[in-house]
Amino acid sequence: MTATEGIDIKCVGLTKTFRDFWMRPRVKAVEGLDLEVRRGQVYGLLGPNGSGKSTTIKMLLGLLSPTKGRIAVLGRRPRDVATKKHVGYLPEESYLYRFLSARETLDYYGRLFRLPASVRRERIDMLLDMVGLEAVEHRPVGEFSKGMQRRVGLAQSLINDPQLLILDEPTSGMDPVGARQIKDLIADLGRRGKTVLLCTHQLSDVEDLCDRVAIMFGGRVHAEGRCDELLVQEDSTTIRTDSLPDGVVNEIRGVLARHGIGHLDVERPRRRMESLFLEIVERARAQGTETSGARSGGQVADFLRGHEAAKRRDAPAVPAAVGAGVADAPVETARPVDTGLIDSLINR
Amino acid sequence: MAASSISRTPRPERASGLDGQRALGAWLAALVGIVAIGLGAAWLLESQGSGQVAGVLRLLTLAATIIWAASGLFRIAVPAGPWPATAGYAALLGGGAAVAELVARAGFAGSFGLGLTLQVIAAAASAWWTWRVFRGAPRWRVQAAWSAATIASAAAVWFLVRHDWPVAATGLAGVTGMAVGCVLGLAGLRQALSGAAGIPGVARTVLDEAVRMRVSVALLVLLVVMVPTLPLLLDHSERLAYRVQFFLNWALGGTGLILGLLTIFLACGSVCGDIDSGRIHMTLAKPLDRWEYLVGKWLGIVAFNLLMVALAGAGTYTFTKVLGGTLAADDADRDAVDRQVLTARAEVLPAHDKPEEYDAAIDAAIRQLEQDEPDAFRRNPAAARRRIRQEYDWQWHTVTPDMVSTFVFHGLPTGSEGVQLQVKPRANNVDIDLADVRFVLSINDRPWPIVDGQHVEQTLPSQAVTTLEIPAEALGDTGTIRLTVANRNLVPAGETRPTAITFSPGDGMKVLHRVGGFDGNFVRCLLVIWFKLAMVAAAAVAAATFLGFPTAVLLAMVVYFAALGSGFLRDALGEYNVVADSALGSVAERIVAAAGLAAQFRFYEAGRMLLGFISDLVLWLVPAFSDYDAVAKLATGIAVPMGNVLSCLFKIGIVYPVVIGLLGWVVFDRRDLIRSST
Repeated sequence: MTATEGIDIKCVGLTKTFRDFWMRPRVKAVEGLDLEVRRGQVYGLLGPNGSGKSTTIKMLLGLLSPTKGRIAVLGRRPRDVATKKHVGYLPEESYLYRFLSARETLDYYGRLFRLPASVRRERIDMLLDMVGLEAVEHRPVGEFSKGMQRRVGLAQSLINDPQLLILDEPTSGMDPVGARQIKDLIADLGRRGKTVLLCTHQLSDVEDLCDRVAIMFGGRVHAEGRCDELLVQEDSTTIRTDSLPDGVVNEIRGVLARHGIGHLDVERPRRRMESLFLEIVERARAQGTETSGARSGGQVADFLRGHEAAKRRDAPAVPAAVGAGVADAPVETARPVDTGLIDSLINR
Repeated sequence: MAASSISRTPRPERASGLDGQRALGAWLAALVGIVAIGLGAAWLLESQGSGQVAGVLRLLTLAATIIWAASGLFRIAVPAGPWPATAGYAALLGGGAAVAELVARAGFAGSFGLGLTLQVIAAAASAWWTWRVFRGAPRWRVQAAWSAATIASAAAVWFLVRHDWPVAATGLAGVTGMAVGCVLGLAGLRQALSGAAGIPGVARTVLDEAVRMRVSVALLVLLVVMVPTLPLLLDHSERLAYRVQFFLNWALGGTGLILGLLTIFLACGSVCGDIDSGRIHMTLAKPLDRWEYLVGKWLGIVAFNLLMVALAGAGTYTFTKVLGGTLAADDADRDAVDRQVLTARAEVLPAHDKPEEYDAAIDAAIRQLEQDEPDAFRRNPAAARRRIRQEYDWQWHTVTPDMVSTFVFHGLPTGSEGVQLQVKPRANNVDIDLADVRFVLSINDRPWPIVDGQHVEQTLPSQAVTTLEIPAEALGDTGTIRLTVANRNLVPAGETRPTAITFSPGDGMKVLHRVGGFDGNFVRCLLVIWFKLAMVAAAAVAAATFLGFPTAVLLAMVVYFAALGSGFLRDALGEYNVVADSALGSVAERIVAAAGLAAQFRFYEAGRMLLGFISDLVLWLVPAFSDYDAVAKLATGIAVPMGNVLSCLFKIGIVYPVVIGLLGWVVFDRRDLIRSST
């Protein structure tokens, strides 16, 4: 298989048929799938339950072997240890050793990546801080809630600062704060040239984050393309401005009528539930309300922002806020980011 | 709202006190310095004749050591104020002990008991204090519990010793020692497996799993409780030599069995658990080859077994020594303990007086059979030959009344040490099981033993093992003795002919001589147990690569018990079936024979032959644990030769695990890592 520069995932005619004990074909989970994900893309794999998303991901990770077709991940075979060194994976459910603590869990996966002890310690500190579990790091993971386990799962997928991050339903089981944080993280990673394969049925996540999407059904891709191209409604235009008095609206109606356009909807934009929720949690935290669960989590860990060597305590204080990762950095034009949300957070 | 208004909770300060390696080194150096200077000065003072001052100095050194050690301990947990914590600890333990000792020596009625009680209260209070100080530091909560439990247990042992209950004290001290050893050993193994690589990483997690899995904890408790308490349960009226033998047999046999089961549950549980829960997806998405995963699992279990075998071994060794040191029934009993159980002896089996003639006679008999019954012979020549040899051996080992038999023993020591003749005679033709057997012996054609000028006749119970000491003088210096047995059995009442005496080949008659000590033998025995467990671990891991948990456990158990019972199975199947000398030659031979039988429509016989072939194949596949029966040897004071240990390491500990592991890997490497449907 040739290693094409700039293509991190390449599948050609990928097919997976599950067989039963007697080797009779039972389920055709993926059929003739072609996929190409370029470096630096945030790629969304969309589809209803049982459409073959997870099967595809498991083949990309070398956990399942394809019945037919070819796969190259980072230009190599998926099972190659050199490939897996640069891949991070968050499975759809958090499969953790119940008896290990959060810190021990991350340490275990850090060892598998052959990270030296000092690097492991530093990164684990940062990751626990980032996912907001630093206060419960010595509790066995089995005692954690689903969302907290999910946070451990997210942290372990990042411990090697992966070039390719494969996320299977990353926001499932997460509270909106955590979900927002994951989205910020993905946006951050994308900006750093990392490749993210996002597999989800949270359509809003895809809309917020992805450059390209593929929509799967019955093991086949039914639509593929740039997110903004797929979503743009060619037959309508939205104008957003300050609140208008009725007279101005009537004037606009007049202008439109002159151009032969009779249809105009005028409504007050509603805030999204997400931004309202985040704001309330934020206010409660500012008032110092105690919680025994996961904390908000801090900023995206330094090593994921490309500051591996920077000492955590000496690092410049990046405003640590939910949503700050997005607000902080210039938003690339190519990336559809919900600017309305950021506005609502900052200009409350 | 400004984003920066969010207050980040500061990370809790990481326990710093002794975290730095330099701080730890300084603390250790100071500890060693205190002990060295204090004890050195005391020794100097004593050599100058100031014994009392030296005594006081020693006490002060002890106190300083305890205080320094405690301060170091508390600095881990309470970086802010280790000294108040240390002061509290020293006051509770030291003050309590001093007051208690004064009360105990005061001499009023009941003062001794009161002093002891005070001492226990002081120890309990310091245990509670340790627990309390550590409780605030979640990282050290487990260590706190252990420290407190150890202090409390030590106090209880002290109490039992002072109250003159040494047996209970030994038992409790043993349990505590094993538990503490378990924790420390585990920490050591985790440290040894702390490398940043795949195999040790997986192995280390298996260790954690072993400790935290409920089945393994239950079996562990059983092990830790069984070994130290077994000596207490033995019947004290029994002879000491038998008690020591029984203890060794059951403690080590039980250890092997419990650890064998634990290994199977742990290995299958760990691998199947990973696959069924999906944890394996996360592990194998990391840069880890599948074979590394399997080797890591195996290594973790083998490391765990090493710890367990060492612990059970240490416990068994200690209690064997304690038991062996208790009062024997009489001098002979004491002698038996020292020279027949707690020793390592080599066995020499008898050779025929005239080996060439003997072999020639057997060959002739075989040729005769070949001529008389060519069909029966050709069906399995190896078995026929073996049968004839066995018949001759029985004949030779049977001393009829009209005959004198000679047995030759080669390769005996020529030094000043004597040897032991162990016989298990059986009186033939007597219906009464325990009839006495009577015979006289000669060594190198001289009557033996001679007491007061009389040649002593041996009168021994039938079917019982008797050991006769042969002194060095009687041996000569050739390293070879000829032992002649003359039957002296009378005609039993109601019988018409006198009774023959059989010393069954193999275990009826042997000469034993000391080749080493008990300690080395004990270590070799533990090694053999460990190697066998390594094989069981490989079988269980391999089974779990393609089967679900219950089925994998079942398969691994079948292999384990087949290996344990391989000696018995071989004997049983060998009687009926055909066990060939060379596996390869017999395959072709038997397939041809079976085909020939089938061609003659003798399907029953052909089927039987095929079944025999299959059972042989299974026996050939399953490792023979019975070739390495180290525990039985150890308990009877027989040396486990180093060659046997190495052969066990090679075959059972390396070749089998590698072969089985390869089989498992071939399956595992190809399978899809999803929940097993079977």
